[in-house]
Amino acid sequence: MTAAFHQVEAELLRSLVGQLLELVRGEPAQRDPRQAGDPLAAAFGLGDDPTRPTDPVVLRLFPDAYRDDDESAAEFRRFTERGLREAKADAAAAVLASLAAVGPVEPDDPLDSGGEKVRLHLDADEAQAWLRTLTDLRLALGTRLGVEEGDEEHWQALPDDDPRRHIHDVYDWLGWVQETLVRALSAGLD
Amino acid sequence: MTTAPAEVERPESDEVVVPDTPWTTVVWNDPVNLMSYVTYVFQSYFGYARGKAEKLMLDVHEKGKAIVSSGSREAMERDVEAMHGYGLWATMQKAGDRG
Repeated sequence: MTAAFHQVEAELLRSLVGQLLELVRGEPAQRDPRQAGDPLAAAFGLGDDPTRPTDPVVLRLFPDAYRDDDESAAEFRRFTERGLREAKADAAAAVLASLAAVGPVEPDDPLDSGGEKVRLHLDADEAQAWLRTLTDLRLALGTRLGVEEGDEEHWQALPDDDPRRHIHDVYDWLGWVQETLVRALSAGLD
Repeated sequence: MTTAPAEVERPESDEVVVPDTPWTTVVWNDPVNLMSYVTYVFQSYFGYARGKAEKLMLDVHEKGKAIVSSGSREAMERDVEAMHGYGLWATMQKAGDRG
């Protein structure tokens, strides 16, 4: 499938996905630097055991799998969080790679409504990476902002110079991009 | 340095292997994920028809949660892990437990 973005939108995506990549790659290595670099330990799932994240954004990306059983939740985290972090990082890296491989839009392209635009071609795997990465970005921004259901008026009422309003606009835009992508992918399921 | 483990005599036992207690995967409502995306995940990961996937999505949205799969504990661990990979808020519990 093909997507077209303004240059400034592609730049924004690059920056956001780069930050997401740092977020999902970041934490375990900082927890226990003695073992973080041991590939053998990592191969066997040993080494730095992930502990329950204190950052609400990270906790939302890697939630507890059990509600009332801390021990089982910790064990689940031990066996899954590393792999989930790698999968999310791989998806984010794939999005960055597809953004790096963009071509210019031809002047007679029907998608081009003026302004500098870039176009992307996504194969099935890349589309999945975009889908997951857009989700993770929205989870991160939405959790950081404290988004709640049906709170659109709250964000619209913020003054223009409030940075949260700008972030919420970005959050909304990511939702629109994702909705478009989900529609295209869902059409292939029926 | 270590030696090969000695052969241990296995105690005889009449123990019956109890089948795994059925477990369930529960997906919880969250204010971020798109309804269309949640439906898509239920269709593409579980292979549910669109109607079933939409019904489950609406249960999540309106009732706050829905049981989306059930089976052995190991199978539910896989499902919960997959849901977390998709960014859905999922937990697992024994069948019959109230979340």
